Amino acid sequence: MTLLSAPVEYVPTGRLRISGLPRLARRHPLVVIGGGLLALLIVLALAAPLYAGDPLNMDPFKRLQPPSAEMWFGSDNLGRDVFARTIFGARISLMVGLLSAAGAALGGVLIGVIAGYNRGFDNIVMRVMDGLMSIPTILLAIALISLTGPGIAILIVAITIPQMPSVSRLVRSAVLSVRERPYVEAALCGGARLPKVLWRHILPSTIPSLMVQSAIVCADAILTEAGLSFLGVGVPPEIPSWGNMISSSRLYLAIAPLTVFAPGICLAVTVLAVNLLGDGLRDLFDPRAKRRRR
Amino acid sequence: MAAYILRRFVSTIAVMAMVGIFVFLLLRLAPGDPAAMIAGKSATAEMIAGIREKMGLNDPMPVQFIRWVRDMLGGDFGTSIFAGRPVLQLISQRLEPTISLSILTMIVSVTIGVSFGILAAWRAGGLVDRILTAFATLGFSVPVFVVGFFLIYLFAITAHWLPVQGYKPIDHGFGPWLVHLILPTVTLSIPYIAFIARITRASMLEVLSEDYMRTAAAKGASSYSMLFHHALKNAGVPILTVIGLSFAGLIGGVVITETVFNIPGVGRLVVDAINNRDYPIIQGVLILVSGLYVLINLAVDLSYTLVDPRIRY
Amino acid sequence: MTISRRNLIKMGVAAGTAVSIPSILRAQTSPTDARTVRMAMGNALSVYDPIWTATNITADHGLAIYDTLFSLDSKFTSQPQMVEKWNVSEDTKTYTFELREGLSWHDGTPVTAADCVASIRRWGEVSSGGQLIMARANEISKKDDKTFTIVLKEPLGILIDVLADLTPPCLFIMREQDASRPATEQVTTNIGSGPFKFNEALTTPGASVTYDRNERYVPRKQPSDGLAGGKIVKVDRVIWEFIAEQQTALAALQAGEIDFFEQPSADLYPLIESDPNLELQVLNETGNHVCLRINSLQKPFNNVKARQAILHLVDQEAFMRVMDPRNGRPETSIFGEPISNDENTGWYKKGGDPEKAKQLFAEAGYAGEKVVILDPTDIPILDNPSQLLAATLRKIGVNAELAPSDWSAITTRRAKKVPVEEDGWSIFITSEADYSLSNPLGSPLLLANGDNAWYGWPKSDEYEALRAKWADVNTIEDRKALARQMQHIWWDFVGDVRLGKYLSPVARRKTLSGLIGVPVQLVPMWNMQKA
Repeated sequence: MTLLSAPVEYVPTGRLRISGLPRLARRHPLVVIGGGLLALLIVLALAAPLYAGDPLNMDPFKRLQPPSAEMWFGSDNLGRDVFARTIFGARISLMVGLLSAAGAALGGVLIGVIAGYNRGFDNIVMRVMDGLMSIPTILLAIALISLTGPGIAILIVAITIPQMPSVSRLVRSAVLSVRERPYVEAALCGGARLPKVLWRHILPSTIPSLMVQSAIVCADAILTEAGLSFLGVGVPPEIPSWGNMISSSRLYLAIAPLTVFAPGICLAVTVLAVNLLGDGLRDLFDPRAKRRRR
Repeated sequence: MAAYILRRFVSTIAVMAMVGIFVFLLLRLAPGDPAAMIAGKSATAEMIAGIREKMGLNDPMPVQFIRWVRDMLGGDFGTSIFAGRPVLQLISQRLEPTISLSILTMIVSVTIGVSFGILAAWRAGGLVDRILTAFATLGFSVPVFVVGFFLIYLFAITAHWLPVQGYKPIDHGFGPWLVHLILPTVTLSIPYIAFIARITRASMLEVLSEDYMRTAAAKGASSYSMLFHHALKNAGVPILTVIGLSFAGLIGGVVITETVFNIPGVGRLVVDAINNRDYPIIQGVLILVSGLYVLINLAVDLSYTLVDPRIRY
Repeated sequence: MTISRRNLIKMGVAAGTAVSIPSILRAQTSPTDARTVRMAMGNALSVYDPIWTATNITADHGLAIYDTLFSLDSKFTSQPQMVEKWNVSEDTKTYTFELREGLSWHDGTPVTAADCVASIRRWGEVSSGGQLIMARANEISKKDDKTFTIVLKEPLGILIDVLADLTPPCLFIMREQDASRPATEQVTTNIGSGPFKFNEALTTPGASVTYDRNERYVPRKQPSDGLAGGKIVKVDRVIWEFIAEQQTALAALQAGEIDFFEQPSADLYPLIESDPNLELQVLNETGNHVCLRINSLQKPFNNVKARQAILHLVDQEAFMRVMDPRNGRPETSIFGEPISNDENTGWYKKGGDPEKAKQLFAEAGYAGEKVVILDPTDIPILDNPSQLLAATLRKIGVNAELAPSDWSAITTRRAKKVPVEEDGWSIFITSEADYSLSNPLGSPLLLANGDNAWYGWPKSDEYEALRAKWADVNTIEDRKALARQMQHIWWDFVGDVRLGKYLSPVARRKTLSGLIGVPVQLVPMWNMQKA
């Protein structure tokens, strides 16, 4: 875990005037490390067809082979190339994570901000959110997937729906405590229009929590996909995702460790990158948070 | 306040009704036939058709729905298609392990998570913060079942200190009960400790950077007083929200943890029921779980007023 | 001891934990006591009525708490079990059975001939062998408390074998008040006359089941032989645990928390063998066929050439590699032992024959129609070959598509006769015990009567005409000859395709011995003992 021991130094700045990326790296190393890692993973995933080989090709007579020049990470229980599957798996896992986070954040902010501000709306919408949320993600996902059969789209929907209320609640509770603050009251008394107040004063204050939460949703989505695969209702077995690779190979850990470790380490690194990025962005977007580093 | 609670109770019923309709439709629209599951792998089509007819699965859906709601209002959650026993009885047999695991996990996660969060915020940017953040990030980056198998390998197979699997009811003695729950609780707690620690740290930092905290510091308030009297109280709303919200996720985690450690709880019950399309059990569990969840979050909402006097209902 | 890093970690953890866990608690993880056997069964027991359902786990439950009129010995010959003696009239139409002494229900009342008559009637509603008896029977009635008769309209040479048949639903004898329910309604009690009693108080449905030794059970005097002979119970209590997760079940077996693990995955065999305390044992030595069912009503497989293409395409060794790499072997007969044969098996070729398959698809006029393969993702042993089949078909240019779901959803979809575009299907894979396939009247997989046949609905009047003769063929030689004729036709019209045959050994701790071999996936629990 070299990533964790990497120097993550905060440099007290303000006077330094370095432009561009080096400056960002100095001031917000987490953004650069997390974001860079994530960007790298995305590029590797997108470029997969150029270098990774065929993730679907099976050879039952070459199952559970050790790593070789031909198959860098060896082969899985159906004789498929673990390296190719791990690289192609990044596409699915990242897609599930990013789309779920984006969906949950968009929906959640919209609902949360309005609910936090308008009490009438609040009561109705938050009860609907309660209803949605009160069904645990995993159970909802299992039920939805048993309705349609496994598929990536339904998986993303099943993960996003129950995450939306949690974002909206977080945003709402932040709005609830912000709206009583003097500067918001002052702005309203000063004749500012409501949408403008929401946009200028309330929304920005929710960004730190939102960033942390979005990172959590993204990471959680990737992990939920793994958990659902463990229960046998994740991504269809043919399509490689880290989750279904780990769970379908878990019996072979002793015989062919890479079948589990390759996707496992990728998954952990990705989740880590997302979390680091979330933390870094929090500092970046929230100038007030930096004052703590007196 | 009383009016607010009353209103929330009424809306709780509305939420439950919504969940009820949703769950009912979801299940009836899903492919999969309990009759075929009962009849067995090599059963003939006539055998399956006979069972369907007998179980009332051929009645129109509205008829089935009305029958279900009517029975439920009378306290009858139906009878398991498979086991032929009342759903409430089946659920109550499975409640103890699940409640034990959930409560232990909540206690462990909140205690450790909030402490870690405060500690990290207190020394933000320092070594302790970084170690704890690293732990929180790592604990959040590994799937629950991987942690579970790792712990089993380490503590049960290699070291023989703790049992691999199973559950012992608490009336067979506190010792055996606790011993069987240690590994599952640790497994399930790790992501929650990480989760709660992160949220606590983030909220604390936000409050600590407020102007009034600087004022307090300037006035010479001790760090203890700063952290616990001022900061924790103000950071309380997001922390409480998250703890309340964790409960649904907890049930999800319970499903996986119960599978890994073979704990005969509600999670296993409902997953098996979904695989078998045992509708009455799935409906019963989802209704009860969502009811419980709604009540917990009502309690959380009400507790906001205790933590943050600026919020009034 | 050399200090390796792993030992250091162990010691460190030990030091930490030893302080925090009192020694009393640690004692709890000691192996279970010698008179109680804990078994991890392959599926959860959720239905208790072994006539109402044909699942193996419920038949296991039946074997424990109920008794049977006849039982199979180790050579699969029918021997009397509850029956003391029986005889058949000269016209071979009237069978008279007399029950042995000492049979009693778990509630203390004696077993009577009336109970047997009611049980046969109820079983006769659902079992295909039972239906045959009911169709041929003029009268099934009790003569006195100990004696009953079956009077047939015309002779049925296989009557005793049908009564002893082990393909679920088996003929378990229940009390008259239970057996008088229709077969479509579950029996709600668990009172049998078998060697074990159901302990309801210690049972959590779907999680664990407890059986206690039936102290009042009077075994036959003969020594135990297969399922026949005296059923002597050598333990006080048996507890079934339903451990869904393979890793957990293996870990529990290694730690001594359970003594028996019914269905370990083939890829766990090396781990089991490397543990000095554990052993693999094959209880069903005749194994299971893997059957590939093809929907012969819809395109492209409504054309016999397309079905033949699948027959030629399949590389059985490759399929066995992903299902049971150790014990899997090719299987070219549609029947099980002893009527298994090699008639008309010219299609078999090691490695399969993709070229021939391609050509046959072309001759069938295949024009890129979608081929939907139902893939049960919750059953690894069927999920693997489904994926391999899809890949193999794609290689020869067939537009194959996997439809992943759990097994439950497949049970709905496989019943649909419509085209794939309307949620129909083309192919699914299942398995059936070799033993069950030795009885063309018992296994639904061996039917070819079109719409009334099993899923896939193969149709061959010629084959069906031969199958109808089965009930009246009495010697093993004649059966073998008939089986050859039937198989000859089957491999021409391709009623289904076989992917091979695999064994499903159980894993047990070496301290558990005396397990009885059975030709189906059932586990009798008498005779076993713990050291």
